[in-house]
Amino acid sequence: MGPLIPQEIITGQWDFVIALLIGASFGFILEASGFSSSRNIAGVFYGYNFVVLRVFFTAMIVAMVGLMYFSYFGWIDINLVFVLPTYLNSMLLGGFIMGLGFVIGGFCPGTSYTAVAIGKIDGIFFAVGTFIGIFIFAEAFPLFENFYTANDLGPITIGEMFGVSNDIVAFVFTIIAIVAFYVTWLIEKRVRKNMTEYKFE
Amino acid sequence: MNRNYIFLAIVMIMLAGGLLLLPERHNYQQIKPEKLMWDITQTSRFVTTDQVAKRIIEGDPTLELIDIRPVKDFEAFSLTNAISIPIDSLMSPNYQDYLGIEDMKVVFYGNDDIKADQAWVIAKRMGYNSIYVMEGGLNCWIKTIIRPVEPKESDPLEDFDLYQFRMGASAYFTGAKVEAPDATKTGVKVVRRKKGAAVAGGC
Repeated sequence: MGPLIPQEIITGQWDFVIALLIGASFGFILEASGFSSSRNIAGVFYGYNFVVLRVFFTAMIVAMVGLMYFSYFGWIDINLVFVLPTYLNSMLLGGFIMGLGFVIGGFCPGTSYTAVAIGKIDGIFFAVGTFIGIFIFAEAFPLFENFYTANDLGPITIGEMFGVSNDIVAFVFTIIAIVAFYVTWLIEKRVRKNMTEYKFE
Repeated sequence: MNRNYIFLAIVMIMLAGGLLLLPERHNYQQIKPEKLMWDITQTSRFVTTDQVAKRIIEGDPTLELIDIRPVKDFEAFSLTNAISIPIDSLMSPNYQDYLGIEDMKVVFYGNDDIKADQAWVIAKRMGYNSIYVMEGGLNCWIKTIIRPVEPKESDPLEDFDLYQFRMGASAYFTGAKVEAPDATKTGVKVVRRKKGAAVAGGC
């Protein structure tokens, strides 16, 4: 049955409508999870709040396992699902820069808009900054285009890279996620012991 | 730790573990018989030779003509920019890249539309969309585009417009000279001057 647009069940014009609905729901969940507070986000780096890790890891394993079941029941053709191409060098550097931005600014691009939505001044500054960054990136792109496209692995998945089935990857990641939830819970408990603003149950 | 979290974690592990235990299953994407029957009974898959000619002349980049006749016939005569995929090799992996290109309209044609229609059913069954059949095939192409028949005087005006288009298309595809229709010709009356009478007499 799915994906709906490549299978021509609905036309491509629905793209924006779906994007708007997903965007609004995503923003709502981010705000509801406390992501518009930069303390929650920067907390990952100081070890007192791992809500970011938990929310994203949960989203990832639920989507991953769900997609596998959808594929099994024939509700989605997994081969038609778009996979982002992997540029190894730029992804490593991009991840580093993004992490740096996280801890300095206290937002990631998405959460800065939820912060704007609830009227946070630091969020507004951050959002304006992202646009300046996008502009500089686009203008200076020819300078580092070679680096950007270096080590192009194409639209590869972890399963394809290591030659294992997607089901095994999904299972392993679920275990990793749940172990990570437990370990971060222990870390939080220890770090928050000396913090008066957190009452830990 | 909250009990709910432990419960949810166990559910998640069970679901993920279940994936490993599921037997192998391949979901082939096939069109349902009802849908195929519905599509076959529709005539919207047919395009006329005039529509094809118009698109070729306009240089429509989304038009993809596929000649399903044997290669020998294709080499002897084919439509502009057509690709040769004989009907018996339609399912060959070598040709799959030509089908199912986004935004491309694939038009099958043969000598008539019977084989082309069969190719259409096969392609539809393989899950391709945006595929069409040229109605009447090349026989109709010759009859309508290459050698169009002039409509009768009592025929509606649209027929004359169509005839004009076909004449133009014929000239486009055959490189023939365009002859102006008789109606536009006006007879030129040659007025001969009478020779004057010979000079008579003399001084």
